[in-house]
Amino acid sequence: MAIIVDDKSRVLVQGITGGAGKFHTKNMIEYGTNIVGGVTPGKGGQEVEGVPVYDTVHGCVMGENPDVSVVFVPARFAADAVMECLDEGLKRIILVPERIPIHDMLEVRHKAGKAGATVVGGNSPGVVSPGKANVGIMPPIAFSEGRVGTVARSGAITYYLADTLTHSGYGETTCVGLGGDPILGSNFEDILRLFDNDPETEAMVMAGEIGGLYEEIASQHMSEIKKPVIAFIAGLYAPPGKRMGHAGAIVEKGMGTAESKVKALSDAGVPIAKKFSDIPKLLEERIGKA
Amino acid sequence: MRLYEYEAKEIFENAKIPVPPRKVARSAEEAKTAAEEIGFPVAIKAQVLVGGRGKAGGIEFADSPEETEEITNRLLGLRIKDTPVHSVLVEKKVEVEKELYIGVTIDRFEFKPIVIVSSEGGVDIEKVAEEEPDKIHKLHIDVNDKLRSYQGRLLASSAGLQGKMISKVGGILQRLYGVFKKYDAKIAEINPLIVSGESVYAADAKLILDDDSLFRHPELKEKGISMRHDVSELTEREKLAQAEGIPYLDLDGNIGMFPGGAGFGIASIDLVKQLGGEPANFMDSGGGPTPERIAKMLDLLVDNPNVVTIFGARFGGISRCDDFAKGVMIFLEAKGTKKPMIMRMTGNKWKEGMEILENAKKERPELFEKIEVFGIDTPIEEVAKRAVEVAREEAGG
Repeated sequence: MAIIVDDKSRVLVQGITGGAGKFHTKNMIEYGTNIVGGVTPGKGGQEVEGVPVYDTVHGCVMGENPDVSVVFVPARFAADAVMECLDEGLKRIILVPERIPIHDMLEVRHKAGKAGATVVGGNSPGVVSPGKANVGIMPPIAFSEGRVGTVARSGAITYYLADTLTHSGYGETTCVGLGGDPILGSNFEDILRLFDNDPETEAMVMAGEIGGLYEEIASQHMSEIKKPVIAFIAGLYAPPGKRMGHAGAIVEKGMGTAESKVKALSDAGVPIAKKFSDIPKLLEERIGKA
Repeated sequence: MRLYEYEAKEIFENAKIPVPPRKVARSAEEAKTAAEEIGFPVAIKAQVLVGGRGKAGGIEFADSPEETEEITNRLLGLRIKDTPVHSVLVEKKVEVEKELYIGVTIDRFEFKPIVIVSSEGGVDIEKVAEEEPDKIHKLHIDVNDKLRSYQGRLLASSAGLQGKMISKVGGILQRLYGVFKKYDAKIAEINPLIVSGESVYAADAKLILDDDSLFRHPELKEKGISMRHDVSELTEREKLAQAEGIPYLDLDGNIGMFPGGAGFGIASIDLVKQLGGEPANFMDSGGGPTPERIAKMLDLLVDNPNVVTIFGARFGGISRCDDFAKGVMIFLEAKGTKKPMIMRMTGNKWKEGMEILENAKKERPELFEKIEVFGIDTPIEEVAKRAVEVAREEAGG
């Protein structure tokens, strides 16, 4: 088992004929990911890396029966791409494009919530279940099969977490790039719940960073998570950011800083790793030696 | 992107939100003419993109042409939070009976638009929210819905308004919500909304738009509103970086930070600080920079007199380590090795990247005297430790 993607996943690539779509389709296939089809409107009937291209998600669903989509279309078309998948019944969608309009993402969350679907990103580096599937843009070099699930806002931090877990011998079940955009499809706790229900995952590492409220929101749901969670927060020494006007301040009241996130998570009983090398130590106390 | 008050007011006025008569002026002469047209008394307001203008003395009132000129000259010489004032808004002074606050933003807990109304608006609105939260009324709006008339009336009446004012302010709330949606705003705010007899006016206007949605609003360009950066608060190097489109901030230390990615950019500052080093900057090298861009980023660091050592890390994902190595070579061939560089490369094409540097080293060893490159086998913390150590030697020597 793993979460979101595994060796049985049938993956659709939206925007497969674009530069990034093509390049990463090749990498994903090389990893062993089961890419069953692609969609680019107007390019139906072509092939990319031996994968059949369809004009619509509907066509691809009829022809190839995918159950996961990874989206490489430009940000302005990303919401449309997700909606198309949701209408065709896909329940797992990974958004690579960055800087998706925030009002679009509010609509995406609303619709995905009603459909009971998991949307990851935007600005997600993807989701890797080591040894099973690599969906997105992550270099496989950092990852190894193992016992710990990770979820991080930043792509590079996702790699460094995997690097740390791989070197220390714990390995990973699935690594989820939650995404760096302001309004994301999923929150930390959504992914932590999936890990909680995955029999192979023994503990989770979540990596947040300054800005946004995702870590504070997660802290309010920690009592629902049964397995051990360790948090890493980037930005403890960051210069103070710029304020966003009264309306934001009235709603958010000083949240979003590294201190606020560390405090919220610590108060919820989540241990904080200050450096990557603290992570294996904290894991050992909770799930034993690697 | 934040709009100037005069820009936001034009948008509000087009949406039928009542705004006092007004005119922008860029000199005392223009301000005087504007004031005479509008009629005294007038408010003269510095146009800046930072908050706290009122408290910084950026708003004054004038009763005569002479006073208008005098105040405008003073305001145009003012700096508000380090931002110079280039224009003022001359506006009909409105008699204040009551000051309300109304605003629309995105509630980032609930992921829904939220409308906020307070019976006590003005400069201390955040204090009101803190100390008298029952004076603040909020309503979430369903993403796919609009603000309904009854919801506007409900909010207006909870803010203590009575009689005709309930529908009047309710209607303004609906229109403000309309602007928020139409322009893909992050914040649409009127503080204060002034009640004056039978009339209501937006005395101030704040509109912050989502930069990532500007492509949907070509009409803004026609109004002369285009993507802007507030450069006045930046250091010289930050301006240079911004001109190149490189996210960059100056810090106080001496280690030039050259990490990959924004998230790791932030984390690498923590890492160096925890190891006793002092970062000289924050930089986000972005996904997939070209070699030329990488060379430019290194230029920025090496040209900074505070930097004694450069710490670089590249975890190739969407970006490639061979491009990184090529960028390092462009830089070295143009600038030589003035300062030590401690780097780690791993991920996408890291072996190819190492090869490029190793081959170049054989040909021109003199370029590599101060360069140390590590691969996947050396953990990032070890490499950072080495950079801190070298920086200490350099600073001491």
